Amino acid sequence: MTAPIRCREDETFVLNLGPQHPATHGVLRVKLTMDGEYVVKAEPVLGYIHRMHEKMAEDRTFAQFMPNTARMDYLHALAYNHGYVLTVERAAGIEVPERAEYIRVITVELNRLTSHLLWWAAFLLDLGGFSPLLYAFDDREQILDLLERVTGSRLTYCYFRFGGVYNDIDDDFITGTRNFIKRLRSRLPRLYHDLVTKNIILIKRLKDIGFVSKEQCRKYGATGPLLRGSGVQFDIRKNEPYSVYPEFDFDIPVYDEGDCMARYMVRMDEIEQSMRIIEQALDKLPDGPVRAKVPKILKPAAGDYYAAVEAARGSFGCRLVCNGDKSPYRLKLRSPTFSNLSLFGEVAEGMLLADALAFMGSLDLVIPEIDR
Amino acid sequence: MNIVEQTRIALLELFPDLAAADAEARAKAEAEAAEAAEAVAPVEAEQEVTAAAATGEAETATPPPAEESAEAATPETKAAAAEKEPAAEGPRQNGVAVGDYDRHGVHLDVLCDPQQVVAAAEILDQAGFFIEAITGVDWLKEDQMEVIYDYNRNDGRLCRVVVRTRIPRAEPELPSITNVYPGANWHEREAYDFFGIRFLGHPDLTRILLPEDADFYPLLKDFTL
Amino acid sequence: MSEYWNDIFGGTKSLLVGLGITAREFFKPVVTEQYPWEVPVMTPRFRGHIELVKNAETGKPNCVVCGMCMRSCPSGCITLAGKKPEGEKKKVLTQYELDFTKCSLCGSCIESCNFNAIQFSKDYNLASTRKEDYLFDLLKRLEEQS
Ligand code: SF4
Ligand code: SF4
Repeated sequence: MTAPIRCREDETFVLNLGPQHPATHGVLRVKLTMDGEYVVKAEPVLGYIHRMHEKMAEDRTFAQFMPNTARMDYLHALAYNHGYVLTVERAAGIEVPERAEYIRVITVELNRLTSHLLWWAAFLLDLGGFSPLLYAFDDREQILDLLERVTGSRLTYCYFRFGGVYNDIDDDFITGTRNFIKRLRSRLPRLYHDLVTKNIILIKRLKDIGFVSKEQCRKYGATGPLLRGSGVQFDIRKNEPYSVYPEFDFDIPVYDEGDCMARYMVRMDEIEQSMRIIEQALDKLPDGPVRAKVPKILKPAAGDYYAAVEAARGSFGCRLVCNGDKSPYRLKLRSPTFSNLSLFGEVAEGMLLADALAFMGSLDLVIPEIDR
Repeated sequence: MNIVEQTRIALLELFPDLAAADAEARAKAEAEAAEAAEAVAPVEAEQEVTAAAATGEAETATPPPAEESAEAATPETKAAAAEKEPAAEGPRQNGVAVGDYDRHGVHLDVLCDPQQVVAAAEILDQAGFFIEAITGVDWLKEDQMEVIYDYNRNDGRLCRVVVRTRIPRAEPELPSITNVYPGANWHEREAYDFFGIRFLGHPDLTRILLPEDADFYPLLKDFTL
Repeated sequence: MSEYWNDIFGGTKSLLVGLGITAREFFKPVVTEQYPWEVPVMTPRFRGHIELVKNAETGKPNCVVCGMCMRSCPSGCITLAGKKPEGEKKKVLTQYELDFTKCSLCGSCIESCNFNAIQFSKDYNLASTRKEDYLFDLLKRLEEQS
């Protein structure tokens, strides 16, 4: 990368990227101060899709807040379901039957696959490749069909319940999932890696672009593939195991380069790891009930509870403050991309506009989750 | 020494009184542990209590039992703290408590003065923590605002730290930690946006999620829909 | 200079590989559904908007007007009313309206109903430019179905 040619202060101009821009995947606006093609200053402007879920939580019972969780990160809605039910279960001291835990893991991982596939498709669209989108959507639709069979919805799931899941999975789902994994395994090397990962244009556009250091990640609280692409092995599923994740044998992909390519590779490897987890979970799936008996109106003891899960974009945490009432006194939702995006300004400085867009794509932004 | 204990001792620097008492207690516990190790089998029965305390020191893999620090923090220092700060109300005094991780999801729970949050952030920064979130809680009945800082580690050693402080509702002001953690910038703006908490020394304390012309703080308990 | 030639060589190879894959995919069968001509069948658990369940014996709704569904709904979509006719023990449903514009299809109402009186419908062809079209009178819908 060559250093930008600095020119006079009064020769810069302001470029508004968004709020309606195809590369921002939603309604994010970035105020860019440009010097020709180079970014001098980048300021993300948030809040275009802010809905104040945290206030809504204070106004509803614990169970009534469930549908809201799916509407934050609509691409990995089940992880958000999971994070929220984990927190409430911790607060109310609810035990979850084992089969329900397995079903949770299977569906969350399937959902993670859809999220990564969609990221892959959209990211390549940002970079100018159209046909990968169609291949990824073909696969993604298969998962959505599977998830629709069990959850009834295709995108904004409201499937988990305190003490279990809404309903059991059936044999068709299990065979369907196995077939799907077989199919994706056969398609990955050719349609994904041969066509895209090894493509010289992609490599040229991602290698050494958007370098994020370990220290930057720590200072900004970045998590998820962004952190793992910078060489830090941190994944809540392994580091702070919840649910039945310790039962499974899977790896946390880590790449040391810290550039866009590293983040790309982390996500591609995670697709494989998720498939491994699903297969093992299907093999080990125990019999039994899928839902514990839980009172309809929960009133957890007063106190302060925290639980975190690994969503597709990083660690999603819920801090729940209860005062013994039937609705949360305060619910703080810690969304991973909020922190991840906050380092955009620092890193994008001095980049070419096209590279800044590639960098933004590699952060995997989902705006409703940032704005909450 | 495990990470939780290590961080607890580092954080005790914020409270010199407690640190002294804690160091004393630890020295005592160590001495007792040594004694217990020397002591032969028959004495075991009457030394059950000290042995229990000693295992906390010996087992580095698990967080030490809560009694140890409670023992250290409460009896001698509570009176001193109360003397120093008669205005402080509520059941909890400033200090570092070991949280019940399985129940509450945090390992260390720090309550400090609003002026100390920067010092706390510096200690945690040096210990390699990252800032996860900053948020507020409005305690309308007590006429106070609580500010909560969540810290976590990403090096594989599990230790979640929560730092809390209370500020008066009428004057919600406290120093900003953006100089220590640039990532706190947006989190502080968010807390300002939702609660009206003013972080002194913040480079750009403006609305972040709400429209810039909003004239309300939605998460205050007296803001009703 | 060698990098220059490497790039040209690598680029050509990438191009050929890409064209090869695309050509092979081109002759594969169509995977998309030709929607208006091919109508998908919804899975049994598909969540459409809610509807009343008809009692197989009486042909009347199962609902006993307890109001649990109304109270459990997070968004207050359900409005219902009932009256007790002379000389009968149970209340009879006289109105059951769903404001589908606010419904999040969460299923709380169905879970909270102890009388198996509501279920998810399989309707998905819902498109309109007017908001009023989404205020469903479920009682009327039930009558029309029979
Ligand atoms: S909960 Fe069931 S029985 Fe009660 S009012 Fe609703 S639909 Fe009718
Ligand atoms: S599905 Fe949920 S939002 Fe819709 S009417 Fe039932 S309870 Fe209300």
